Amino acid sequence: MKTTKIISLDEIGKELPFRVPENYFNDFAAQIDKQTGYRKRTLAFMRPWMYAAAVFVGIVVVGQVFYNTNRQKTMTAENYESYVMAQVDESSLVDYYVNEPAK
Amino acid sequence: MSISEEDLLKQLSNPGKRASTFSTLVRTYQERIYWHIRKMVLSHEDSNDVLQNTFMKAWNGLDGFRGESQFSTWLYRIATNETLTFLTNKRLRNTNSLDDVEDSLILNLRADTYFNGNEIQLKLQEAILTLPEKQRLVFNMKYFEDITYEEMEKILGTSVGALKASYHHAVKKIEKIFEE
Repeated sequence: MKTTKIISLDEIGKELPFRVPENYFNDFAAQIDKQTGYRKRTLAFMRPWMYAAAVFVGIVVVGQVFYNTNRQKTMTAENYESYVMAQVDESSLVDYYVNEPAK
Repeated sequence: MSISEEDLLKQLSNPGKRASTFSTLVRTYQERIYWHIRKMVLSHEDSNDVLQNTFMKAWNGLDGFRGESQFSTWLYRIATNETLTFLTNKRLRNTNSLDDVEDSLILNLRADTYFNGNEIQLKLQEAILTLPEKQRLVFNMKYFEDITYEEMEKILGTSVGALKASYHHAVKKIEKIFEE
């Protein structure tokens, strides 16, 4: 007796048996960009004089920051000594210098 | 893509933003549209050609896109028309017989470097090729892409009832081919 086996679509599955070349979609999108005249804005759009101006501004800004930071540190050091001295009364200071602890 | 259709239309209407917006749209939809085409024309090289035609047609037709449908629907419509045009032209170029296009598609598929299916999958593709083109489209869109009938109606311009009947018959035909 002949038996009929029906393979249903569910058994076959939905996986597509096709593949694409490596990097195809990236290349395709880039190709369409070229055809539409679209160019992603990158640093490449800057001209040489713009680079020079950017470097100059960068040096000035960094220099200013460095200068101000140093100035603050010096002031802080000077102020710190005054601050500490202001916290100590005169008699304690005399005691300290006159009655130096034995080494 | 999270941008609203309204904002999309605004950006596409802005000459300064049109190309960058379109570039994003290409990257968003290219894979889905590619596979939609590939299931019909089978060959990667042919799919690449049709995909290019689709996006260039979309780019050149952007002024005609008024937002009456979703952008994806509009794009699918262009891709579908380009695919059917491709197959028609292939048929016209092949003067041997009306059936030869499907035969040549399957022959090429067996030898295709970018086909990596097993015998069952190859048999399924052969079975799908026995369907008329429009029915093949409906079957592919429903079976592989799980597109709703309502969305299919917008893309193909066929009523939901007719699409359901077409898909039902396509499934029956294909399963009959798989009877052993």
